[in-house]
Amino acid sequence: MAKTHADAAGFRWTALAALGILVLSPVLLILYQSFLTGPFFSPLSRLGLDAYLYIFRDPDFYRALGTTTLFALGTVAVCVPLGAVLAFLITRTDLSGRHWLEGIVLVPMFLSAIVLGFGYTVALGPSGIVTLAFKGVFGDAPWDIYGLPSLILISGITHVPHVYLYASAAMRNLPGDLEEAARSSGAGIWTVARHVTLPLILPALIFSIGLNVMLAFEAFGLPLVLGDPDGVLVLTTYIYKLTTILGVPSYQLMAVVAVVLLAIIFPLVFIQRRLLNRARRFAAIGGKGARVTSIRLGRTGQIVAWLGVGTWLTLAIVMPIGGIAIRAFVDAWGVGVNLFDHLTLGNFQALFQIDTLQRGIINTVLLAVVGGAFAVLAYLMIALAGHRWSGWGNTSLDYMVLMPRALPGLIIGLAFFWIFLFVPFLQPLRLTIFSLLVAYIIVGLSYGLRLIQSTLLQVAPELEEGARSAGATIGQTWRKIVIPIIRPGLLGAWTMIMIIFLREYATGVYLMTQGTEVIGSLIVSLMASGSLDTIAALALISVVMTTGGLLLANRLGGGKIHG
Amino acid sequence: MYIRKILTSATAVCALAITTAPMMAQQVPEGYPADYAQIVEAAIAEGQLNVYSPVDAEQAQGMIEGFQAAYPGIAVSWIDVSSGAVYNRVVSEAAANQVGSDIVWSNGLDLQLQLVEEGYAEPYASLEAAAFPDWAKYKDSAYLTTVEPAVFMYNNVVFTEALPANRKDLAAMLTERAAEFDGKVTMFDPEKSAQAFVTFFADAGNDTDAFWALSDAFGAAGGKVYSSSGQMREKVISGEHPIAIGVNGAYALGWAKKSPNLTVVFPEDYTIASSRAAFISRNAPNPNAAKLFLDFMLSKQGQEVAASAGLPAVRTDIEGDNFDTVNEMAGGKLVPIKLDEKLLGGLDATTRSDFFQKWQNALQP
Repeated sequence: MAKTHADAAGFRWTALAALGILVLSPVLLILYQSFLTGPFFSPLSRLGLDAYLYIFRDPDFYRALGTTTLFALGTVAVCVPLGAVLAFLITRTDLSGRHWLEGIVLVPMFLSAIVLGFGYTVALGPSGIVTLAFKGVFGDAPWDIYGLPSLILISGITHVPHVYLYASAAMRNLPGDLEEAARSSGAGIWTVARHVTLPLILPALIFSIGLNVMLAFEAFGLPLVLGDPDGVLVLTTYIYKLTTILGVPSYQLMAVVAVVLLAIIFPLVFIQRRLLNRARRFAAIGGKGARVTSIRLGRTGQIVAWLGVGTWLTLAIVMPIGGIAIRAFVDAWGVGVNLFDHLTLGNFQALFQIDTLQRGIINTVLLAVVGGAFAVLAYLMIALAGHRWSGWGNTSLDYMVLMPRALPGLIIGLAFFWIFLFVPFLQPLRLTIFSLLVAYIIVGLSYGLRLIQSTLLQVAPELEEGARSAGATIGQTWRKIVIPIIRPGLLGAWTMIMIIFLREYATGVYLMTQGTEVIGSLIVSLMASGSLDTIAALALISVVMTTGGLLLANRLGGGKIHG
Repeated sequence: MYIRKILTSATAVCALAITTAPMMAQQVPEGYPADYAQIVEAAIAEGQLNVYSPVDAEQAQGMIEGFQAAYPGIAVSWIDVSSGAVYNRVVSEAAANQVGSDIVWSNGLDLQLQLVEEGYAEPYASLEAAAFPDWAKYKDSAYLTTVEPAVFMYNNVVFTEALPANRKDLAAMLTERAAEFDGKVTMFDPEKSAQAFVTFFADAGNDTDAFWALSDAFGAAGGKVYSSSGQMREKVISGEHPIAIGVNGAYALGWAKKSPNLTVVFPEDYTIASSRAAFISRNAPNPNAAKLFLDFMLSKQGQEVAASAGLPAVRTDIEGDNFDTVNEMAGGKLVPIKLDEKLLGGLDATTRSDFFQKWQNALQP
């Protein structure tokens, strides 16, 4: 193993360089733009710190920065423990209905955050269907979905799948013997979970914390829908405001905020790497293929566990998705409205009449399924390049993978719009769906790559070394041994990427053009003209499609989303 | 793309079927000079037209079909660019010598005018220009096409009284019953929506006292602001905020038809009307098709098609909603936002920050 890092150096550096170009070109463009006084393509722009001075003197910026930090920490505090417990229950215990739960748990990821937030308004908002019903019975409803605390809670519970995914992947592969040993020495189930399982999956949890902090920093949809009414300003809604408040769009100001986000991410990645290195020392998992035995919950355990899971399912799935589903079939809702008097199929009409919307659906599916496969292929190359490779090449790979995560999709989309516009040999591709694919690959990078990397790490080094000593080149070893073993992991990553691509909305706002419309970005323009009835119908179809696709993937390839 | 092709050919077939002589459709429209035939011919040779617009496909469908029926053989690409992105796209593409738009049609009136001023528009004296009032034209380049009144809207199930129909009375009601209306009123957010800024800036310019009195009362009643029509619509429909100020009436009238619990009120003191401005791009890839389309948009037929899609026309000599009918609904007090230098004033940094300063103060309860 000591020697392998020198192998395939050509491939590794080429892959690293390719990743570098893909990730750094938008990042450097944004960095450059932030030091200019106007758009980078304008002859009147000159170098200067004006944009930084403006931002750093704006009290709104500090307010947004503070709120965003609170929001990020709060989200993580809610979603990480919940996600870890959920993963533990589903993968390590005999919780009844856990196989069924496995597919359902991911549903909150299927919708773009704007639509999800809107679903909460319909269900639990001040005039929400549930709120009104509750008021009808009890006289008053003691909740308010607007404002920072609710925003944090809702963001936390809807990000549970983002933790569950990585935690369950790690837990599934833990040998059961350690837990069994603890159980037979008389430890209770939560003692086992805390003292045996937790330390072993710590790397996955640390990764989830990092990922969710970054997700919270670039979150836009939920803060817009649930925070804005109460004047909660986060960095992304602050960027939104910057585009209007000065009249002519000032990209340099947006760029400065993006640079600030990047600057926050760097120390985070650094801390995360340090923690991961330390955690891995404890998590030296031996044993190959030890049969995983489930921990028995017992009767009380089942009931308690289901109470918790049921509450989460209700809050994170039934409420928002139910809200959207109901809105898709009515023309009015809320105070004084009997929903049954307002049932209609009219909301779906536009979907069948407007060819842009139909094209949007087709493009989105294409981009998700075919584009998703390309993305996974790209991630596999990058993952292999970094596989059992130490040194600064690997370090820079880690940073580059997480860098785009810090940037809001809108800004990545804008940067790629400019790159495809101003780089001569890319120009012919700008008006094709390829430009969207490239941007999407960057957006999905940190999600997909991590799933592949963690599967790769589980391939026992002996297998690779065996092949190597039998005379196989490293390329042959990867092709014949490693890739076939990790195939389930690749399928899982593919499914995951499909979900991410299906619901992405901000990236396409600048890039999309005629013929390359995607559902997510069409929703943004429908929102502007008020067609929320059409949005609800579109979102419902999108949830049904995603769920169907996921079930199909499970059936066809056993491609469950886990390492 | 396939769907578009099928649609295009279907429209072409219809056109053939209706006009027994197929070449009829390509003839010069009535009243146009004979040499217009050259533009038509050249446009058909170009065979393509690209429109950048935040007007979504649902609203644009009629206009596209009408144009293609009039001039078969020109494919229309309707590029849905959100109103915040229009300016960026035009400016960036011009800088990269990659102009993709023939027509730019947007509701961001100030930025449209700014684009004209910065030389991104190709001047063209439309043959239909005579039918348009002076406030709807700018330097033979940009033309206003629609009349979109900023109205009050309320949920008649939740708020069962008659809503005061002018700014001062509404302000008085909100101030007197501030506790009752706490958090019950919504307004378009000028800080996040450029469209809202243009409308409110014009509103404040028309009657400073009335506008700020209403804004102050709105702030005192703990009003909530939203950045998209979609959000405002849902909040009023559901009764969360039963009263809305500054809603785009062109949309609201359509919503009220779909949802019977909505009522639209035209402010009687005066009703500001916003619009969408269209111009031909400089260095447009299909300059002749662009001229044809601009003339079509401004023609009787084009204006009628837009009106039937829910965007009232500026032209008054047409069937369907137009300036006169909207003005009638507004009790003759319609104040259209003029396409002139005053709009550019709103882009001035000091003017803007003064406005927002006042706005922030007004929002303080």
